[in-house]
Amino acid sequence: MSELIRDFARLPQTWFETPIAAIALTLAAYFVGVRLFKLMRHPSWFPPVVIAALLIAAVIALLPIGVEDYNRGAAWLTLLLGPATVALAVPLYQQLPQIRALWRPILMTLPLSATLAACYALLIAWAMGAPPEVLASLAPKSVTSPIALSLTEELGGSTALLMGALMVTGITAIFGVEWLSRWLKIRDPRLIGLALGINGHALGTVRAFEISHQAGAFASLGMSLTGAFTAVVLPVVWHLFV
Amino acid sequence: MSIMRGLLWLLAFLLLGQSMVQLLPIPLPAGVVGMLLLTLWFVRRGKMNADVVAVSHPLIAMLALLIMPGVVEIFFVAGRYADQAGAILTALLVGTLLSVASSLWLMRRYMPPLNETDHE
Repeated sequence: MSELIRDFARLPQTWFETPIAAIALTLAAYFVGVRLFKLMRHPSWFPPVVIAALLIAAVIALLPIGVEDYNRGAAWLTLLLGPATVALAVPLYQQLPQIRALWRPILMTLPLSATLAACYALLIAWAMGAPPEVLASLAPKSVTSPIALSLTEELGGSTALLMGALMVTGITAIFGVEWLSRWLKIRDPRLIGLALGINGHALGTVRAFEISHQAGAFASLGMSLTGAFTAVVLPVVWHLFV
Repeated sequence: MSIMRGLLWLLAFLLLGQSMVQLLPIPLPAGVVGMLLLTLWFVRRGKMNADVVAVSHPLIAMLALLIMPGVVEIFFVAGRYADQAGAILTALLVGTLLSVASSLWLMRRYMPPLNETDHE
């Protein structure tokens, strides 16, 4: 009998020896997250992604496994992030005529917006006495995660803190764009999409696709251009000051 | 089978992007380079590949799900930054709201209204 109980208690560890449990947990948490999000009547400050991440963290804390065990398994699922990024070529191509007509205003506003997205946060954190390691983790906060991760490593920041910063930034950007565009009476889906992509990286882009296909395409454009611009400019500017 | 053929195209362009990032001094992730190359390829052909379109819809719908596992770790290391929490949260919340406001204002100032662009 006691042997049976011991085997039973060891079950969670054996589950996480293969990636299957981590993938199942991720999918289950995501669908529960989406359901809870609907039950709470779509709170823009608490998106399904965050609900699901909290649920997974709670399950990991309850089971006798570490977050590394989960990360190792979930990496098999997040491998799809590569082809999913390439797939964004489809909405981008569909909106190409619109983008071509607007290349001049986009080129005029985007570099400045991307620079401001990093500068405001850095100035506030610096004025409040944050050390260089924290500043290096916050600098790429509006950039899509694959670019942001390599940037923060180059500048000497913490990747875990960066992922947290990306999440808070994404939620704040979604909330901010919805609130401020209503206040400024902006209804143009291209503009809302661009603002979501520039400031809220992939989380903002996901939200933009929920609004409309066009908003999503402009958000992917804003996200990729902000990523490209920041990846080139940030390391140069950073090494001028640090 | 169409979806699998589309996936093969995406993987091929991802590998192409990976090779370019390694061979040329491009400071971008392989996925973003692959996306730009695939867009250029569509432009050259003048139309999209139906298999790629078929696989892109479910993959783009999955984006949020694919980002989520990376977020989980912060709940376990947040304690390390407790003494900096005030500065970090103020910077992120106020900084992001300010940058959203500036980018919306800038774009409203310089972007032509929706209906006018159709004539260009």
